[in-house]
Amino acid sequence: MPQVKIVPKNFMDMVAALPASKLDSLYTNTFFCEAVLRSLPPVSKMYVLRMLYIDAAVSAKLMQEWVLPDSFSKHKAAIDRLLQLRVFTESIDRKREISYRLNPKYQENLRKYLVHGGTLSREPMPSSVTVRLPTLEELDAYALQQWEVALSAPFVCLYFAGNLEKCFLLQLINSSLVERPTNFSPSMMKVFQRGLITTRDNEAPKLTENGFRFLLMETHTQLWYIMREYISTSEGRGMDTAELISFLLELSFHVTGEAYNMNTLTEVQQIAIKDLATLGLVKLQQGRKESWFIPTKLATNLSVSLSDSSSRKEGFVVVETNFRLYAYSTSKLHCEILRLFCRIEYQLPNLIVGAITKESLYTAFDNGITSEQIILFLQQHAHPRVAQKAPAVPENVTDQIRLWETDLNRVEMNLAHFYEDFPSMDIYEAACDYARELGGFLWEDSKKMRLIVRGEMHEEMKDFLRRQK
Amino acid sequence: MVNAIKGLFISCDVPMAQFIASLNASLPPSQKFIIHMLDNTHMFVQAHAGEMIRNKISEFRDLNSYEKPA
Repeated sequence: MPQVKIVPKNFMDMVAALPASKLDSLYTNTFFCEAVLRSLPPVSKMYVLRMLYIDAAVSAKLMQEWVLPDSFSKHKAAIDRLLQLRVFTESIDRKREISYRLNPKYQENLRKYLVHGGTLSREPMPSSVTVRLPTLEELDAYALQQWEVALSAPFVCLYFAGNLEKCFLLQLINSSLVERPTNFSPSMMKVFQRGLITTRDNEAPKLTENGFRFLLMETHTQLWYIMREYISTSEGRGMDTAELISFLLELSFHVTGEAYNMNTLTEVQQIAIKDLATLGLVKLQQGRKESWFIPTKLATNLSVSLSDSSSRKEGFVVVETNFRLYAYSTSKLHCEILRLFCRIEYQLPNLIVGAITKESLYTAFDNGITSEQIILFLQQHAHPRVAQKAPAVPENVTDQIRLWETDLNRVEMNLAHFYEDFPSMDIYEAACDYARELGGFLWEDSKKMRLIVRGEMHEEMKDFLRRQK
Repeated sequence: MVNAIKGLFISCDVPMAQFIASLNASLPPSQKFIIHMLDNTHMFVQAHAGEMIRNKISEFRDLNSYEKPA
C-alpha cells in the first residue's frame, strides 16, 4: 500500500485517483504510458526503465540496495508514487517479503513505444487540401487571444456586475460586454462555476477566493486546473473520462501547426474538440469539403508541463521602490489581474502604470488573496530587465505588503471559558494539564488560580472537574 | 466549586490592548465589555463584543488612510 498520501494538486494526481480498472484500460494507450513516464520524478523514471525488460518480480530488499542509506526517503517516495499510479504492482510471497514488478500492460506498451516510436493514429493532411494554414506566430497569437478571452470573459462581466442595476442571471457571458462574442457551451460555464465563481439567486455572480487565486496562477497551472475540472465533470455529461484523458494526452503529442482531419475523431472527441477550440488549445478551420483542427502551443505543452516545472513566459512587470508598477503589456486580462491588487493610474498603448497602495491591497486581502500570492505573482512575471537583479521585486515593497497583511490581524480572538475559584492547587494543576492535553489551553494565572480554555472543550472540562470531586 | 464564565479571549499587542481598554472606558457602565484585564497583552471580554471591537479597530485603521480622488 502506498504510504505517502499526496493531496491532488496536478493532473497526474487526478489520474492516480481513478479506479483501478479505468487506469488499467488507460494503459493500453501508448501515449498515456509515455505521458505518465514523463511526469514521474527522476528516481521513479530510472526504476521504471530498469524494470522495463525484467519480467520476474524483484524483491524490495534488492531495490533498497540500489540506493545509499541516506537517500532512503527519496527511494520510498519514488516507489510510493509508482504504486499510486499502478505502474508498479506489489506482491507478497509466503516468506512475507515484498517484491515489485511493472504493470504488465504498461510494460508491454512502453516497450512497443521504445521500439516503434510513437505513431499517431492520424496523419497531417496534405497541404493541397489545407489552404490558408496559419503560420506559427499567427497560431500562437490566436491561442493566447482565445485563452485570455476565455478567462477574462466571465471575469470582465463580473466587474460590471458590481453595478446592481444590471442583474445577471446564470448566463455569465453577456456578449455586449465582450468585444468578440464567445460561444461557450453550458458545460464549459459549469466548469468555471465549479469553484471559481459563486452565483446566488437575485445576486450578481461573485468570484470566490479560489477564483482570485486562480487568476494569479501561471498559465500552465490554470490550464491544468481547467482541464481537471473539465474531466471531472465529463462523467456527468456522458463522456467517458478515460477516453477524454487519452485524447487530451494524444493531442499533446501532435505537431503544432499541422492540420489534422476532423473525421478521424470519434463523437466524444468531436464534442471535446469544440470546447478546446473555445479555450484556444486548437484552431478549427473549414475547407471546401473537409474541416480540420490545428493544435496550438497550449495543447502540445500539455504533456510537457505534466510535472510542475514549466517554461517561463516573458515577464512584463517592473516594480519600483516607490511602490509604482509598470506593466509592459497590452492584454486586458493582465490589466484586470493587476487591478486586483494595485490602483491602475494610466493605461497607455503598450504600458499599464499603477501604484501599490494600502487601500488597493486591503481590497485584495478582503477578497481572500494573500500577500505571498501577490509577491509570487510579481516575482514570476518580472520584466527580464529587472529579473536579472536580485531581488526582482524591491525588498521594501515585499516587506511592506507583508506588514500591511499582518496589520489586518493584530488582534486574535478566541471563544473561551474562564475558570476560577478552584478549591485546591492540585485540582488547578490537574485542570491545566488536562487542558493542555486537549489542546484547548489558552492562558493561566497560577497565583490567582485562574484558567482559560477554548470554548469547544467546555463540556470535557466540566466532566473532568466533576470527576475530581 | 469552580466557576466558569463564558466569553472571548483576546490576545494582541500592547497598543491594541490600550486601544481596547480606552474603548471600554468610554462606554457607560452598563455597556462595559471587559470582564477581566489579564495582563498588558491579554484580556477576557464578553462574547458579543467581538464584532464591535473589530469594527472599531478597522475604523481606527482607516483614520490614517488617504485615498487619492480618482
